[in-house]
Amino acid sequence: MNENRFATGFLIPGGLWLLLLFVVPVVLVLALSFGYTDDLGEAIYDTRLDNYERLVDPDYLPVLFRSAGFALGAVVLCLLIGYPVAYYIAVFGGRWKNVLIALVVLPFFVNYLIRTYAWIAMLGDDGLVNGVFDTSIRFINTPYAVVGGLVYGFLAFMILPIYAALDRMDPALIEAGKDLYGSPWETFRHVTWPHTFQGVLAGSVLVFLPAVGDFVAASLLGGPEEVMVGNLIQQQFQASDNWPFGAALTIAMMAFLLIWMSLYLRAAAREGKEATA
Amino acid sequence: MRAFDRPRFLRVFVWIFFVFLFAPIVLVILFSFNSSRSLQQFDGFSLRWYETFFESESLRDSLIASIQIALITMVVATILGTMLAYGLVRARTRWSDTANVLMLIPLVTPEIVAGASALLLFTQVGLQLSLTTIVLAHITFSISYVTVVVRARLAALGRQVEDASMDLGATRWQTFRLVTLPALWPAIIAAGLLCFALSFDDFVLSFFTTGESPQPLPVRIWTQIRFGVRPTINAIGTFMLVISTLSIGLALLLPRLLGRRESGLKVLLGREGA
Amino acid sequence: MTSANTNRAHSAEPSASAIRFEGVTKTFGDFEAVKELDLEIDKGEFFSLLGPSGCGKTTTLRMVAGFELPSTGRIFLDGEPVETVPPYKRNVNTVFQSYALFEHLNIADNVAFGLKRRKVAKDEIRTRVAEALELVEMTGREKSRPTELSGGQKQRVALARALVNRPAVLLLDEPLGALDLKLRKQMQVELKGIQREVGITFLYVTHDQEEALAMSDRIAVMEGGEIRQCGSPEEIYEQPTGPFVAGFIGVSNLLPGDDGSQISVRPEKIWLGTLENGMTAMEGTVVERVYVGTTTQVIVELESGVRLVALEQNTASARADDRWEIGERVKLGWHPEHARELR
Repeated sequence: MNENRFATGFLIPGGLWLLLLFVVPVVLVLALSFGYTDDLGEAIYDTRLDNYERLVDPDYLPVLFRSAGFALGAVVLCLLIGYPVAYYIAVFGGRWKNVLIALVVLPFFVNYLIRTYAWIAMLGDDGLVNGVFDTSIRFINTPYAVVGGLVYGFLAFMILPIYAALDRMDPALIEAGKDLYGSPWETFRHVTWPHTFQGVLAGSVLVFLPAVGDFVAASLLGGPEEVMVGNLIQQQFQASDNWPFGAALTIAMMAFLLIWMSLYLRAAAREGKEATA
Repeated sequence: MRAFDRPRFLRVFVWIFFVFLFAPIVLVILFSFNSSRSLQQFDGFSLRWYETFFESESLRDSLIASIQIALITMVVATILGTMLAYGLVRARTRWSDTANVLMLIPLVTPEIVAGASALLLFTQVGLQLSLTTIVLAHITFSISYVTVVVRARLAALGRQVEDASMDLGATRWQTFRLVTLPALWPAIIAAGLLCFALSFDDFVLSFFTTGESPQPLPVRIWTQIRFGVRPTINAIGTFMLVISTLSIGLALLLPRLLGRRESGLKVLLGREGA
Repeated sequence: MTSANTNRAHSAEPSASAIRFEGVTKTFGDFEAVKELDLEIDKGEFFSLLGPSGCGKTTTLRMVAGFELPSTGRIFLDGEPVETVPPYKRNVNTVFQSYALFEHLNIADNVAFGLKRRKVAKDEIRTRVAEALELVEMTGREKSRPTELSGGQKQRVALARALVNRPAVLLLDEPLGALDLKLRKQMQVELKGIQREVGITFLYVTHDQEEALAMSDRIAVMEGGEIRQCGSPEEIYEQPTGPFVAGFIGVSNLLPGDDGSQISVRPEKIWLGTLENGMTAMEGTVVERVYVGTTTQVIVELESGVRLVALEQNTASARADDRWEIGERVKLGWHPEHARELR
């Protein structure tokens, strides 16, 4: 049909751009991950598995696990902190709802680097807290600082979907739940939580994905013991100039994330079906 | 609803939350006006760090570079993204599903993957790293944001208005120009300004694809943080906050200023007319 | 189900019909929306496609407008085949269910839209827009925006926007569906009047059988993609040819007849109590009375368990629900010519 040809034409510019500047590069990375670096430091394409074998070295495997661990920790903390905040604003916010949510989002307009750096300013050895209280507590260069940095960086991504889910909920449901279940906790467990589960899933994904690949938090707030896969990748591509290995790390991370994404999509689809059933 | 005794505990929690949320920001803004370099005490109001910022030719160049990149990204990504959105909603082909997935992937791809792969591409193709490579990378990752925003609005618009236009004698191209685009303007503008803010603030992508000089502002901030020239960072950060807030603010207000009833927020969230 | 003959009006004019369908089908994947449609609609007719949702009436309309192409078969407008003609070149205009007004244009520009596309001169545009707005009683609202109008007003503007182009055929897709009852009744009368005044062919799609009966010269009752019956409102109502039509139009009582067929009797044709000579008579018990203002529905259950609805008028002198008690045994009957046998 003519209409189809007309509209299909519109797909071409954007589609072509994404194909050439997104798909092709990722394919290149995949290809390079099977390559090696020669004596002159040049990256050569090949079909070796050396890089992937290196991944499971005792030098590097902990880094992968740590990244996943930090990211997971960030997700859990974001959930523990973000859910109550979203709940409060959605349920008790009243006419200040929009203002409060705007206030939650506002700090995230400050550049991510600066927000992370601000924590150094506050909690660093020469920072505000140590200065004001005349202490020398080591906050920075710890795993807690890194996770904290990740949480601070991505908290909004957890709060917004949960808030949206709560806001969409019919308050009558909670009332009915109160009647049916009596205690606030039971109501939450049986009524509120199931209805916001999709939001929680979405928020978790939105935090987990960037957190796993992050290198800023670990760089600025962590020490050598807190190196994450993002740092490794960044090093391979910039300092160490070992692009094939960097490529392998990148692919490994992508594969890891793809697994979680497909699990998420399946969980979300299942929830969706149950919700409409 | 108020019968729960939870509120008091929850309320305290939320207050503490806001304090922790804003403390670092307030710190940065406050100390950007500090007359001394100390991060531990406020020695009086001064604009010296802003002066340092704006007097530094290289930092000025970086600011201009950031703005240029953001502007070009905004224009190109908006055009490509809008067209893609139209194709995704209106075309019924076997490529539609693939195109849809293709469009969504950048949204869930970690920036480091984006950066590394872009770097690899440019090197292979022999393109030297410069503002151009940054722009190319930014556009690639902004298209999807535009498509998602515009697509929501387009779906809400529905086919009937376009059918009506053709029914009255307008060709498909005329319909797009005279009926579809005018109805999409709020979404397009909101998406464009979103692109601007995202590009202006972007670090990781720029970090991987930047040349020697000029480098966009966030990359300069990174270098400054790593090498300890601290106080100016507060000034740069506060300044960037103002720019970002302005562009998001415009994105939210502009549709209303242009005579539409809905706020930009609703447009961005795809809830226009809801 | 009906031969091509019944789908044609009773005159035998040699000139081309306004719309002609020849063996038209439309399939979406596995779904047959329209099956083997043969129909001729005459010039100047107010023709309705009536049926429940999913019966294929809107698809048929869209094929005339050009938004869908038939899977098989041909459509002729004024004698000319239109498969290769895109919607913007057909001499046909549509009034949509959701009005589909252009919100970024004011009323005058909305109405003028079609004329501007045809490059009509500015002066002529102004005059014709004014005429069209007068026809639908929206003069003075030229500068208003669609968002400022009520549903009924938007409907009028949509009508003006279509009619101003003087199309050969006007297509209306359930245009009154979103209006409240009173407004709908008012608009039905107005639409009928406008059609008479302007004289062009109206092809009207609706699921509201009262609406179709009130406005149409002829009705095609559709179900499952096929025309079940085509004829004047009286024919459709008084002489339904099948159980679907009998059940869809008005209320119908269905009784099992001999040899497996069904007998249909309209409620208002059933007499209670005193019968006339020659009537088919039955006996039953009153099980329910429903008072609806002008009439009362009296529901009577026969020995066989079948329930019949009889309609009695509430006049100045007698109210039907005063006459019959629930549980009372009553005689009922009807003239044999009012009973229709359905295949």
